[in-house]
Amino acid sequence: MLAEYFPVLVFLGISTVIGVALVTLGGLLGPSNPDSEKLSPYECGFEAFEDTRMKFDVRYYLVAILFIIFDLEIAFFIPWAVALDEIGWLGFNAMLLFVALLIVGFVVEWKNGALEWE
Amino acid sequence: MLTLAHFLTLGAILFSLSVAGIFLNRKNVIILLMCIELMLLSVNMNFVAFSRFLGNLDGQVFVFFILTVAAAEAAIGLAILVVLFRNRDTINVSELDDLKG
Amino acid sequence: MDIPIPQTVFYLFSFIMVAAAIMVITVRNPVYAALFLVLTFFSAAAIWLLLEAEFLAIVLVVVYVGAVMVLFLFVVMMLDINLAPLKEGFVSYLPVGIAVALLMAAEMLVVVWTRDRFGPEIYPVPAAAEAGTSNTAALGELLYTNFLLPFEIAGVILLVAIVSAVTLTLRKRSGVRSQSPSHQVRVKRDERVRLVDIASESPDGRSD
Repeated sequence: MLAEYFPVLVFLGISTVIGVALVTLGGLLGPSNPDSEKLSPYECGFEAFEDTRMKFDVRYYLVAILFIIFDLEIAFFIPWAVALDEIGWLGFNAMLLFVALLIVGFVVEWKNGALEWE
Repeated sequence: MLTLAHFLTLGAILFSLSVAGIFLNRKNVIILLMCIELMLLSVNMNFVAFSRFLGNLDGQVFVFFILTVAAAEAAIGLAILVVLFRNRDTINVSELDDLKG
Repeated sequence: MDIPIPQTVFYLFSFIMVAAAIMVITVRNPVYAALFLVLTFFSAAAIWLLLEAEFLAIVLVVVYVGAVMVLFLFVVMMLDINLAPLKEGFVSYLPVGIAVALLMAAEMLVVVWTRDRFGPEIYPVPAAAEAGTSNTAALGELLYTNFLLPFEIAGVILLVAIVSAVTLTLRKRSGVRSQSPSHQVRVKRDERVRLVDIASESPDGRSD
């Protein structure tokens, strides 16, 4: 059965080779003579106001949390959907309860305004 | 031939590395959380290996639950970290000693 | 020459995994540590595929590489941390860290490899699953029959994660001017327009 995954391995190998080759070729063939002015951050000609690496806003973090939780929920859905014939009504209702729990979380998030981008 | 011992060895090496990581990065909470994720991964590796060699899928179901709990743990842990940084302006473990008598 | 593919894959990905794990615990910059952690998880997924845990391998890639590591990167980039003091003590803890890790690894390896406890005689290598069997379906059958209660508890844990993350990190900004589209749509003409009768004026400035 593992033989079915052999194309994935070939794909991984080829993509690794291409990626490494492109980066090394670019590094070897491209002209590179940096000086301190070239490497400094450029901001329309004047001195930069702040650090190059600016802070992310905390609201991105909330979006990422939402994504993780619902990502996992989908991961629970997949085996449920594949095995729905075997698990019967008990399994079906169990998933309804699971979804109901997550909808409670969704409502909490919505009502608290975590989805608003003010 | 790949025996169970090969996979257990890999898990053991990974676990020892994450313990070493906890020793080395004692100041940085983010790296500590990453080391905990690595530990969970090595334990999951053992579960999956035993599940295969015992021919019993229970181990894989357990790994699925561990992944769920670990994701929730990462989410809450990082949320606490964000609040901590907002209030104290540092994530250095040695400066978080308010409870010390 | 006949190369045994599973062994090659195992050793290749184990090497990548261990090397990436070493990088995770030694690099200075947490962003690089998170990226090396991604590499570690990815190699672990490949090894789980070798163990015929296909569903878990893909879940590891989707949930961990796709979501949890992104969360880590967000947090690393959200806090602009002064890195220098966080690395101090690295060298002084190095000997004890290495010693403890080596000791632990040695102990576990002694347990694993002596007296053939986990060798092929006691745990024979199982036959490969025949083509067409679904690991996902078998897992689903087990998960939604024998493990119903843990499944619901997992749901509750996810709920707790949502609620706690919202309550911990969300803070109301005061003085933010924001649009309310629903309010804008619902508005009536009379709230915005006022019709006023004004007496008309003649061009020479004299009113009627």
